[in-house]
Amino acid sequence: MQSANVLLKRIVRSSVLPFAAQHGVKKDLFPLRRTLSLSLCMKQDNSCNPSEKLDLDAWKKVMRSGLQEEVSETVSESKELSAVAAARETLEMWRLAGRAVPENISEEQLKTFMECPSKSAKKKYLKYLHLKELYKKNDKRKLEEKRERRLEKEQASKTDETKKTSFICLWDSSMDRAYNWRVAQSMVFGQPLVFDMSYENDMSFREVANTVRQLVLSEGCNRRSVDPFHIHFCNFKDDSLYHKEFIKHYKEAWSKLLITVTDQCYTEVFPKDKLIYLTADSPKVMKTFDHNKIYIVGSMVDKSIKTGVSLARAKRLGLETAALPLEKYLLWNSGAKNLTLDQMMHILLTLKDTGDWKKALEFVPKRKYCGFVNKPVHELKKTLNLINTLKFGKRQEEVRKQFAKSYSKKLTQK
Amino acid sequence: VQPPEKPLQAEEWNRLRESFRSPEIFEEVMFNSMVRCNSPIDVAKSLLTHVAKSNGDVTYNLLVKYLALCVQQGQTSEIRDVYDIMKIRFKILESGAYNLLIKGLSNSDQWRMALTLLEEVKKIMIPSRTNYESCIKAASRHQEMNLAFELYHEMLAKDLVPTLDVLQALFDFCRGVKGAELQKELFGILLYLRDNQIYPHKTFMRSIKLWFESIPGENWRGHLTNIKDSGLCPVCNHQLEDSDLTEEEYNNLRERIIKDVIHGTDTFRKTSPQEFEAFQTFVENRLPFDIVIDGLNVSHIKPRKMQCENLFDAVNCLAKENARLLVLGRKHMLGNSSHWKREIMKEMQNKADFFFAENISEDDAFLLYATLQSGKHCKFVTRDFLRDHKACLSDSQTRHLFRKWQLIHCVKSKKMFLSVFIQQPALRYDCVVQTTGDTWHIPYKDTFDEKYSYRVPRKWLCIQQK
Repeated sequence: MQSANVLLKRIVRSSVLPFAAQHGVKKDLFPLRRTLSLSLCMKQDNSCNPSEKLDLDAWKKVMRSGLQEEVSETVSESKELSAVAAARETLEMWRLAGRAVPENISEEQLKTFMECPSKSAKKKYLKYLHLKELYKKNDKRKLEEKRERRLEKEQASKTDETKKTSFICLWDSSMDRAYNWRVAQSMVFGQPLVFDMSYENDMSFREVANTVRQLVLSEGCNRRSVDPFHIHFCNFKDDSLYHKEFIKHYKEAWSKLLITVTDQCYTEVFPKDKLIYLTADSPKVMKTFDHNKIYIVGSMVDKSIKTGVSLARAKRLGLETAALPLEKYLLWNSGAKNLTLDQMMHILLTLKDTGDWKKALEFVPKRKYCGFVNKPVHELKKTLNLINTLKFGKRQEEVRKQFAKSYSKKLTQK
Repeated sequence: VQPPEKPLQAEEWNRLRESFRSPEIFEEVMFNSMVRCNSPIDVAKSLLTHVAKSNGDVTYNLLVKYLALCVQQGQTSEIRDVYDIMKIRFKILESGAYNLLIKGLSNSDQWRMALTLLEEVKKIMIPSRTNYESCIKAASRHQEMNLAFELYHEMLAKDLVPTLDVLQALFDFCRGVKGAELQKELFGILLYLRDNQIYPHKTFMRSIKLWFESIPGENWRGHLTNIKDSGLCPVCNHQLEDSDLTEEEYNNLRERIIKDVIHGTDTFRKTSPQEFEAFQTFVENRLPFDIVIDGLNVSHIKPRKMQCENLFDAVNCLAKENARLLVLGRKHMLGNSSHWKREIMKEMQNKADFFFAENISEDDAFLLYATLQSGKHCKFVTRDFLRDHKACLSDSQTRHLFRKWQLIHCVKSKKMFLSVFIQQPALRYDCVVQTTGDTWHIPYKDTFDEKYSYRVPRKWLCIQQK
């Protein structure tokens, strides 16, 4: 009821205002002013400078005039603002002031906004909502454009007869059936891959939501691969935040997914000596992909840099750990060495199929590395020198040489 | 775009607007540059008039920008007019407009309006510290000291940190004013500086000095001085407070370090329970140590030398004074490698106790534990500032204790020549604002913004009552 009221008020205000203002201006101000200024102009046309014939405070009258009626209506009814309404009003004002604030905000989002502990947290949250809204709007616009284009095309090609082909059109559903068949097979014969779902307490709500999104993506690419893993979600508690987010993504399909979900720990499901925990903090570097081992990936998005959380978990259970050989194969540029879950999935799938590190590490985001360490080290050094002489001239060449030297030393040590 | 110098007619604005790249945002861009160039407000007014006449309305955004221009030039009546218009148009305003209004009005003779605005802000959000700053300054400028202090306390109650400017203003405007109540308030500010380890800068210090000397009938005298290393004030021969932690603080710190730094959320993140237990019994059996050495850190002092040689030099140098040493390291130091020679390691182990942690464990946590467990006389040697460990501590009070303890117990080793270690004498006195009733000692920073937070000021203001 209250929100309806607010809405109504807003509609009234936004639609009536400009009209009233214009109306007011035209009726009361313009005729008078026009004649006045006209006569003024006529008299002193050539003599006066432009600032004198301008009424500089005219805007104030405009602003005040059209508003009297509306004010008298609103003042009486809403003296005291409730906290929610006040927050909504503030948001509206921020939007008018040109800040990054979403146009529409739901009651739930408003509540989250009010619960933010600090001003900067509030600002951040609003910016996030604002960007989300922008993306959504853009997507919608693109979709509509696409639809229009398609309609045009259809109208243009309506005259054509339907062509006959000797191939059956494979629809999505039959593709799905084929994929599902493969995954079902992997559930019996495939290599297990474990996602450790015990990090809920280490993450914020947004991080859990991101994690689940990444898991959904990884499940999708596993399903479409030639030889899928048998995915296990271990330490999975019913009615946990993970669970709720999964249901948001999968809806009814959640119960039909061809994966194993269990609240048991992986140490209870599999023999301990076969488990390898993959973590970027591990001192050990993975050399080859072992088809007889069971790899564990921690389902955690770590935005606040909590170093060593998953390593601690593996240490506690006395499991073997391993990190991807990123340093060995890539000239690392910047960014953290922890990868997203779907990138991990791509890498592991490629390793499983081909055993080719170069191919697998293509899935590391390009911004994070400069290139592959594909040639012998001395050749790499040569090209690096060449590039740098071209780039920086002679003086800095020396510095670069030093760098290349130390880098190659690091490589040979490993 | 360059704003015009004189007010323009509607047609002229229109022409300008059309020649602009993107006419939709012309007004905004123009206003921004007007604020930047501090254009006369008549020019801004003419643009507003033009906008109002062609659109029948002026957006909030533009009003705020115009307001900023008025505040910049101190046009009080304009500020009031804009406020009135905003008041009619909008139910509430947002923080940007309130900031400007409060700032603008507090500098004028209508400063009481700023106070009512502050009340209005409080209804919808927590005012910023600059809002309070403007109001407090305005109140004290008009000698309403009670009101100023009321606002000051209100601000503290809201967990806002006052700017040094506000505090200085309070001292400035209380100069020569008599009153026991006021005096108590200002002493309260000095104690606030003490509790939060804030050091005033030079001009603020001068305000404090002048205020003290202006109190009628009390005869305070202030002198600038450097305190000797022994902690003796050369002016009044008063001994400054000892920097040692009290027994209670010390125990508290030790407990927090074990709880927050070593165990944290998960003992396995830094060590393992077995390893920690082993270390505990190791330390228990050999207590107390005089100096605990961070082996790996010290071994990197001279990059051209072999790492174990560096460590060897350090151990030799420190062992001469017949002190009990503990060297912390990691297991990989025991393996015979290019940097770690077994014979040298053997020789060192005759002179000091060694504990080797797992290669993936954090040895710093052990360093802290061993030092704290040995007692107050124990020192540790590292170049590390241990900031990451300080950050693990959960509350600011303990973090401060940690820093205080670290300042006195950290032996910074500066290797001047080949193997000469110079131990920088740690400060013996506590570097905070302090009083004995008839004297005050206030450390101050020479420049406005001191670059390093770990450096404590060496200059002091000594105030005594004759």
